Amino acid sequence: MSKNNSEFSVVGKRIPKLDAAQKAMGRAEYIQDVKLPGMLFGKILYSKHAHANIVKIDTSKAKALAGVHAVLTGEDVPKKMKMGFIKDNPPIKKGNVCSLRDEVAAVAAISPEIAKKALDLIEIEYEELEGIFDPEKAMEKDSPLVHEHLKSNVLKMPWNIHYGDVEKAEKESAFVVEDRFTTTWVTHCCMGTSGAVALFDASENLTIYTNTQIPSLAHKDFLEALKAMGLENKRVRVIKPVIGGGFGSKLDTYAYEHIAILLAYKCRKPVKIVFDRVEEFKATSTRQPTVTYIKQGCDKNGKLTFRDMRMVLDNGGHTSWGATTPSVMLMPISSLYRVENVKYNAKCVYTNNTYSQAMRGYGNPQATFAIESSMDMLAEKAGIDRIEFRKINKNQSGDETPQGLKITSCGLEECIDAVKEELKFDGKNEKGIGTGIASLIHVGGGARIYGSDGCGAILKMDDYGKVDIFTGGTDMGQGLDNITAQIVAEELGLLAEDINVVHSDTDICPWDVGAHASRSTFVAGNAALGAAKKVKKKIQVFASKLFDVPAQEIELKDKLVFVPGDREKSMLIGKLLRKAHFRPGGTMLMAEHFYDPDNENMGKELKGNMSMTYSFGAHGAKVKVDEETGKVEVLEYVAAHDVGRAINPLLLEGQVYGGVIMGLGYALTEEVTVKDGEIMNANFRDYKLFTAKDAVKIKAPVIETDDKDGPFGAKGIGEPGCVPTAPAIANAIYDAVGVRIKDLPITPEKVLAALKDKNG
Amino acid sequence: MKAFKYLSPTTVEEAIAFHSRHSETAKYIGGGTDVIVKVKEGWMEPDYLISLKKIGDMSELHKNDATGELSIGAMVTHATLEKSLMIRNEYPIIHDAVSNIGSLQVRNVGTIGGNLINAVPSADGAIPLIALDGMALLHGPDGERSVEVKDLFIAPYKTILKPREILKKITIPPQAPHTGSAYIKFGRRAAMELPLIGIGVLLTLDDDLQTCPRARICLGVAAPTPMRAFDAENFLVGKKIDENILIEAGKIAADESKVRDSVRGKAWHRKEMILVHVRRMGLKCLNMIKDNN
Repeated sequence: MSKNNSEFSVVGKRIPKLDAAQKAMGRAEYIQDVKLPGMLFGKILYSKHAHANIVKIDTSKAKALAGVHAVLTGEDVPKKMKMGFIKDNPPIKKGNVCSLRDEVAAVAAISPEIAKKALDLIEIEYEELEGIFDPEKAMEKDSPLVHEHLKSNVLKMPWNIHYGDVEKAEKESAFVVEDRFTTTWVTHCCMGTSGAVALFDASENLTIYTNTQIPSLAHKDFLEALKAMGLENKRVRVIKPVIGGGFGSKLDTYAYEHIAILLAYKCRKPVKIVFDRVEEFKATSTRQPTVTYIKQGCDKNGKLTFRDMRMVLDNGGHTSWGATTPSVMLMPISSLYRVENVKYNAKCVYTNNTYSQAMRGYGNPQATFAIESSMDMLAEKAGIDRIEFRKINKNQSGDETPQGLKITSCGLEECIDAVKEELKFDGKNEKGIGTGIASLIHVGGGARIYGSDGCGAILKMDDYGKVDIFTGGTDMGQGLDNITAQIVAEELGLLAEDINVVHSDTDICPWDVGAHASRSTFVAGNAALGAAKKVKKKIQVFASKLFDVPAQEIELKDKLVFVPGDREKSMLIGKLLRKAHFRPGGTMLMAEHFYDPDNENMGKELKGNMSMTYSFGAHGAKVKVDEETGKVEVLEYVAAHDVGRAINPLLLEGQVYGGVIMGLGYALTEEVTVKDGEIMNANFRDYKLFTAKDAVKIKAPVIETDDKDGPFGAKGIGEPGCVPTAPAIANAIYDAVGVRIKDLPITPEKVLAALKDKNG
Repeated sequence: MKAFKYLSPTTVEEAIAFHSRHSETAKYIGGGTDVIVKVKEGWMEPDYLISLKKIGDMSELHKNDATGELSIGAMVTHATLEKSLMIRNEYPIIHDAVSNIGSLQVRNVGTIGGNLINAVPSADGAIPLIALDGMALLHGPDGERSVEVKDLFIAPYKTILKPREILKKITIPPQAPHTGSAYIKFGRRAAMELPLIGIGVLLTLDDDLQTCPRARICLGVAAPTPMRAFDAENFLVGKKIDENILIEAGKIAADESKVRDSVRGKAWHRKEMILVHVRRMGLKCLNMIKDNN
């Protein structure tokens, strides 16, 4: 390790979130709080059928209602205004609907109540079409087509890879296991619901306040929207208010944003659309459900020989980033543990269900559920202890995986040992009690999915030793503000509270690809560090003239600029800044830095080092299964992660706790219940999010491997907390009572049915 | 949410008079944990909400030591019942039920009377009161009447209450010696949960501490209204109770229940839970009786 934690002043310190008081006192401004003069309220009408032709729409009564300023239907949407990365989704549908969340009309009125009343006055005649709700059935030849013109429900996606020789490896394997695993829809459940406020200025430039994790990409989407509306060469300003949770849900632009833009343009007034909770459940995107077939083998010594996986993903009626999650699933499939021969095929299939999007882990939780469940099955078949089996196959620093991932630092073995130690895996358990373990790999050093994986930062110092840093990165509650402030403060010898982090206003902040892929600490952190280093150098150069010593001898610490060992050559940083500024030919200190990691886009062969570094972890659970009811109680939980370095251990623990609780919900209780495309549990009573009372005690050992490329050695850790949770629980249940549940969530019904099956 | 006027009468008579004056556009409100949700969702659109909160004696919880009768005002909150040592010691089935309703916040304002009048099949509050042979005292424009709590319910969200009638209080007759009672709410999570099934058991034993002269098995979410499993109760009466007998009673109760499949849970699993928990709650009753003897 290059540096010990004790050598840092600000990095590694448990500094509470900088906006904690603001939020606790109700002063943080969410989208709900944005109020502009003359603002109208927009509401959206959704389809009554999962699959239908729109025969006729009559909006005359709605338009006639007093207080209504505009009513839009699909006819009013410019032809080229479409959403999603394959642009298959207009913000209001015309002619045809293919899910119950399809937008069919929208209204702007002087109050939300009037807007809602107007929606009720819109008359639509539908011609119902046969729907298809099961992706595997949707792949059959005579299945109804979701999009007639595409001739098939299967999307054209490139997810088909083969590294090494799986067939040969299978023949040579001593032990092989094979099974099918399924996962269902779950949703982000952000405390703050979605919403946007759009307005145009007199020159038809757009400002949009919106909950987004991708200000710069949203900026691009909205520019394209304006272009489709015939507004060329206009400006777009995206302002992100305080976000009440993202978790991937805000990685795309959505119909409500585009509709707000259309309504604002039509009315020449600001228009606000904010979702209520039912709408949040029904009209935002979920994590994608998967059907996974997995086959794995090992030799007689327990060394993995091959992994062969096939998946079917329910894409829903339209395409968003959900269809690209196989690109991230590929990472654990090819690279969780050492395995040379890997095959993976994923088919994304249109159905008349809700469409999926990014959600914390981006496919990794689904893939890891199958892989780590199967690992236990293979270990048992080979007669090898499951911890030992994982250690035999562990990833190690210096590895290059079949996908071409370069493992620069790897603390996987330490994580596994930490779990083993905490949960006393060797001890005998009482009846009905069992332990389980599952590991994870995730991108920890950015993820090159677009042409750029970069982030910019602009740093300026005032005359008193305070800093404003304008970052491209987005804080959505995860704590990037703290991380940025701590990194800059460490480098400039200041306190975290001296640093004001300004983010998410595209007029002010530089470009960033978005708060995704657990990349903010690594990428936005490195951007901030780069800018801080440049300013530090300027300070050193200026001080070297003042103190008449070489620049490299000058240090910055405790708000002082000084030469170590020479008490005379020391000055408060504020004073030095004033000396630099208030003189003939004076200067103020500022710098910019754009950091783009040296990672690779996956080419046609789906190979390449997509991240600069990878985060690892191992989760362990001790559960008690009630064999008469099937109910699972989590007694203990350990989540150990290799994080490179904890910039802020307090926030890190928060990320891990939150991730684990989210993962436990995924494992045990959460599911969006869908019947013929309709969401049946659009409320928190029936969508079983863990409550505070359900929360379990979590131990979160931190393994620091001091990554060479991370800011102060840090890797990303935003998503991993919820990645291996489900298989850790499933493996513990198997250990406890000998039944393996292969379908999430693991409800008491499923466990009891399996127990009855087993006991005859 | 539709605007409404909020009225706070201080006597039952005044409340009824308010209601009479505003007829169809008025609704009574207790703690509001159900009513306000319905108003917000637009399922109920009253012009007037008549709060029963300020009617003093409706919030009284009192046990008459001379007669042994327990009186629970309809406006007594779940939290009051939950925190009462007397309830915990003498009517454990009530404690079991109310301490798992909603969340701490819901229990602080939600009332036992409101829980009954809301009349959902899953009402946790109803099961113990039925098991304890509770009587509901209703007060309407024509005066008072008394009905068994078990007969309050007609269908989901529907009670026998006449227009303007108010549930004033619930009385529980004195408990026989050697009585134990217990309730379990079976659900998927620990708070803010509707039960998948609710099972309450009350057993009284003779002085031999074996023979059962009186048994109550009450089920929530097992039918459109809270129900008693009469066949299972009758099976237990006169028998010397042990685990095997309780297993049998559980089977009978499961059979006579009218559980069904819903998005929340499957009928077979609900039946299975009745079977398991009649035994478990029954054993809990037996242990209580032994411990108190």
